[in-house]
Amino acid sequence: MTLTTIVRPDADAAAAAVPASSAEAVMAIDARKTYGTGDAAVHALDGVTVGFGAGALTAIMGPSGSGKSTLLHCLAGLDTLTDGTVLLGGTDLGVLREKELTRVRRDRIGFVFQSFNLVPTLTAEENITLPLDLARRDVDQAWFDELVDVVGLRTRLGHRPAELSGGQQQRVAVARALVSRPEVVFADEPTGNLDSRAGAEVLALLRRAVREFGQTVVMVTHDAVAASYADRIVFLADGRTVGELIDPEPEAVLDQMKRISR
Amino acid sequence: MFKTTIRNLMAHRVRLLAAALSVVLGVALMAGTFVLTDTVGAAFDELYASVGVGTDAVVRADHAVEGQGEVQRPPVDAALADQLRSVPGVARIEGTVQGYAQFVGRDGKAIGRPGQGPPTLGLNWPSDPRLNPFTLVDGRAPDAPDQMVIDRASARTGGFALGDTVTVLTKDAPRSMVVVGIVTFGGADSPLGASIALFTTTTAQALVGTPGRFDGFSVVAAPGTDQETLVANLRRVLPPGTEAITGAAATAEQQAASRKGLAFFSTFLLAFALIAMFVGSFIIANSFAITVAQRTRELGLLRALGAGRAQVRRAVLAEAAVLGSVASAVGVGAGIGAALGLEALLNAAGFEVPARGLVLQPRSLVAAGVVGWLVTLASALLPARRAGRLSPVTALRDVDLDSTGGSRRRLVLGGAVTTIGLAVLGRGLVAGGDAAAGAVGLGAAVTFVGVAVLAPLLAPPVGRVIGAPLAAIGITGRLAQANGVRNPRRTAATASALMVGVALVACITVFAASGKASLDRVIDDSFRSDLVIDSGARGFGGLSPALATELARVPEVAEVVRVRLARAEVAGAPTMLVALDPAGASRVADVGVQQGAIEALDAHSIAVSTSAATAKGWHLGDTVPVTFASGRQDLRIVAVYANRNVAGDQFIAIAAQEAYDMRLLDAQLYLRYHPGADPAAARRAVDAATAAYPTASAQDLTGFKAERARPIDQMLALIYALLLLAVLIAVIGIANTTALSVHERTREIGLLRAVGMSRRQLRATVRKEAMIVALFGATLGLAVGVGFGWALVRALASQGITELRLPMAPLAVVVVLAGLSGLVAGAGPARRGARLDILRAVRSD
Repeated sequence: MTLTTIVRPDADAAAAAVPASSAEAVMAIDARKTYGTGDAAVHALDGVTVGFGAGALTAIMGPSGSGKSTLLHCLAGLDTLTDGTVLLGGTDLGVLREKELTRVRRDRIGFVFQSFNLVPTLTAEENITLPLDLARRDVDQAWFDELVDVVGLRTRLGHRPAELSGGQQQRVAVARALVSRPEVVFADEPTGNLDSRAGAEVLALLRRAVREFGQTVVMVTHDAVAASYADRIVFLADGRTVGELIDPEPEAVLDQMKRISR
Repeated sequence: MFKTTIRNLMAHRVRLLAAALSVVLGVALMAGTFVLTDTVGAAFDELYASVGVGTDAVVRADHAVEGQGEVQRPPVDAALADQLRSVPGVARIEGTVQGYAQFVGRDGKAIGRPGQGPPTLGLNWPSDPRLNPFTLVDGRAPDAPDQMVIDRASARTGGFALGDTVTVLTKDAPRSMVVVGIVTFGGADSPLGASIALFTTTTAQALVGTPGRFDGFSVVAAPGTDQETLVANLRRVLPPGTEAITGAAATAEQQAASRKGLAFFSTFLLAFALIAMFVGSFIIANSFAITVAQRTRELGLLRALGAGRAQVRRAVLAEAAVLGSVASAVGVGAGIGAALGLEALLNAAGFEVPARGLVLQPRSLVAAGVVGWLVTLASALLPARRAGRLSPVTALRDVDLDSTGGSRRRLVLGGAVTTIGLAVLGRGLVAGGDAAAGAVGLGAAVTFVGVAVLAPLLAPPVGRVIGAPLAAIGITGRLAQANGVRNPRRTAATASALMVGVALVACITVFAASGKASLDRVIDDSFRSDLVIDSGARGFGGLSPALATELARVPEVAEVVRVRLARAEVAGAPTMLVALDPAGASRVADVGVQQGAIEALDAHSIAVSTSAATAKGWHLGDTVPVTFASGRQDLRIVAVYANRNVAGDQFIAIAAQEAYDMRLLDAQLYLRYHPGADPAAARRAVDAATAAYPTASAQDLTGFKAERARPIDQMLALIYALLLLAVLIAVIGIANTTALSVHERTREIGLLRAVGMSRRQLRATVRKEAMIVALFGATLGLAVGVGFGWALVRALASQGITELRLPMAPLAVVVVLAGLSGLVAGAGPARRGARLDILRAVRSD
């Protein structure tokens, strides 16, 4: 697996020059997100250019307020940039209208959030097939069965979220994220609310999705252990990319974090 | 604490808006009714006072029969005037005549419908201006048999001007009269919207009275004689059977009579105001329950900081008190506006309300406001109790707000309350009579409360079944189905408000359909005539007897059987007594004679039903005391019949009616053709004969059935319209609950949107959820309402409601409309939900 991502801490200089590489599942080019105006303006993203390779698990790390969640939300079409471009497989999300953006999220993106991932009134099975049901698409039964076995929830399909443990709930969320075979799965602190064992299970699951199904996963985390599951880590601070690690070890991750936070 | 109360109210103002609105609407209808009643009542008081001002005494027969709000007295001999003229203190005496006279418009149709609306009157022109309640505004008094003066309202509606020739219907054959004058009455164009024709005294006696007789005399006192002295002087010479009262007393009588008519009208409206408030109480209780639930932590904190249960309870009640005061005050204000609307409605319906400013009686306004305030406070009692019961610990724990609502206690309590309600209702129905109406209303209300207590148990299973078809179609339906029953207690309370309105609609729908079916059944089973001519008159007005005479001359017509109505008291009970032609009666209607014969009826006899005979212990040959306006008669029973649904519990011959009731107008005519006559030709001949009588419409029995059903349909439409307010309040409640649910589910909605639910899909989900809640309410309402309707019909079986009908189409329409109202109620919250920021939900904070 070749990782062709170019990390430029001073990315604003040459943002437009970056081509939409076919190997990038999703990328941000000179992404800026500003809250407020004038002196009160806060730059959550201050010119980020970064790509995320297809078929890889990439982690975004950074201290609180680094803009990592904002970047994820903008990459996933949940939020819009003040300036700059997000390309999802060559589609410029910035020019899409609300309706088209919704369709992109539904058909081309999968989500795993930190908490409140599931609709409490629906069963595990209904939660998994939710994106397909919303699209009125038929469920690929073989794929569904395979997913259910991978996440190990065969016996819990008829249960409602309240009857599942936190780890089980996150596994259901992973299955839902994968069910429509999206181009990218975005995970926002997917293990943030889990104990370490349940967290490890979820991370192994995401890892497996990348390895076995060739899924692209972009994950925001502040946990070095979680990040070490990734093929590559992109570090953010003060709304800018400040470095990256390929095939990281937890120790290296911690070192890097310490450097950034200093 | 008061500052906290206000702050809480302001913080939850949107949530409590629906509660406030329901109070406002209920209070508005109540205050509006009060203000209208006060205004119209005062207007008529003034009207009668001003028109009666010149009359110092009234002389009339001292006996009367009353019925259906009217008093009927026999006329007195005109010669009595000569005798009274010499009584000391009498300056002037004039006879009065009043009876049925109706104008025919330029289009050949009769003006006014005395059977349903204000009466159409013919009177004699009082020659002394002091005794004349009318004011000539154009032209002059009548002084020839073919002249008349008419009221300005009729001149306006009929387009009549001075010198016009207008056809007048009376007990005589229709005749043309020349309009020589136009009058007003007090300040109004006509008294109470009645049409007025004023003739010379002789003409009036011939057309609307009895020649040589007067209804009574109006007397003017000589200068220096007061009313009491005048009356005392008159009484000394009055013959037996007559009385004298002061002009003031006569005015008071008229004022009381108009107040009585008004009271019926206002009671009717007030009943609907109370229904609206009852429905509103569900919304208020639910709104407070939701705000308490959402503030569990806050209230728990108060408790943890040392607030006692009573203090927490009082805090909630204080909010209700403030909300109730503000909403009631607004409601009273809105009611004053509503009174103007109701007044306009009355005028549009043809009741001339004298132009006059609104009368705002403080006590009426305060009464409406206090009722609204008390209802608000009472409705908040349970939520307040629940708030007080919160323990500091549970309140501080992050508990799931959703309570299951299902428990054995609820089942027992709800079952008990429902049973008590049904028992009270049943007693009221069985008892019958006016006093029973209160029991029926109370029983129904208690039953509603009982069902509302049970509703949380019913909501999950019933809601799931209702939502199943939606869930089968797609994910939005599936989500709506789940959300609809997610909070059973909240769903139940919201749906219960709609249940009340739907139940009342269903009940009267069943009742009306059964009533119409019963009427049809009677006509199908018992009526044999080829044609029926119905004047539509019920106790006032009718068809000139000349028409029956003319129809009898039509070659194709074998027989005309006349039916009249006489106001009388049979064995002490006021009744509209049917009078008919005994000779042909059996051939046009079958009353199921058991003993004796209808043909034996004459001026001294009566026919009675078996049920009346059994109840009163009457037998063939016994005499029954019947009091007519003219006095008491003992009538001998010559026939006993089984079928009381045709002509009631007793009837007499027209010969008896003419002798004792002395009014000559026919209410209905039943026609039989000669065997072998061509029905089409016969019909044409009859239509030709009735052409000059616009109030006479010939119908075959099918048409007659439709004609009889029409007033039922009109009543139904009116009641539907008034129940609309209750339904509207319930729909506001659904919108409110849905909005609160959407508000609570911000994160869930964000999640759904994040994983690809479109705004349109989200809106559909919310709307369908509201629809499921509405349909649940409609289902409960339909079940309860059909049950009530069934009970009502069964209870009135002895009153002639023999058929039970469940009209599927109208009831289905009710359900469909309820569902649609849910969709509409959900539209606002749906829009708001769709606008929610996705990020607010998914941001891990």
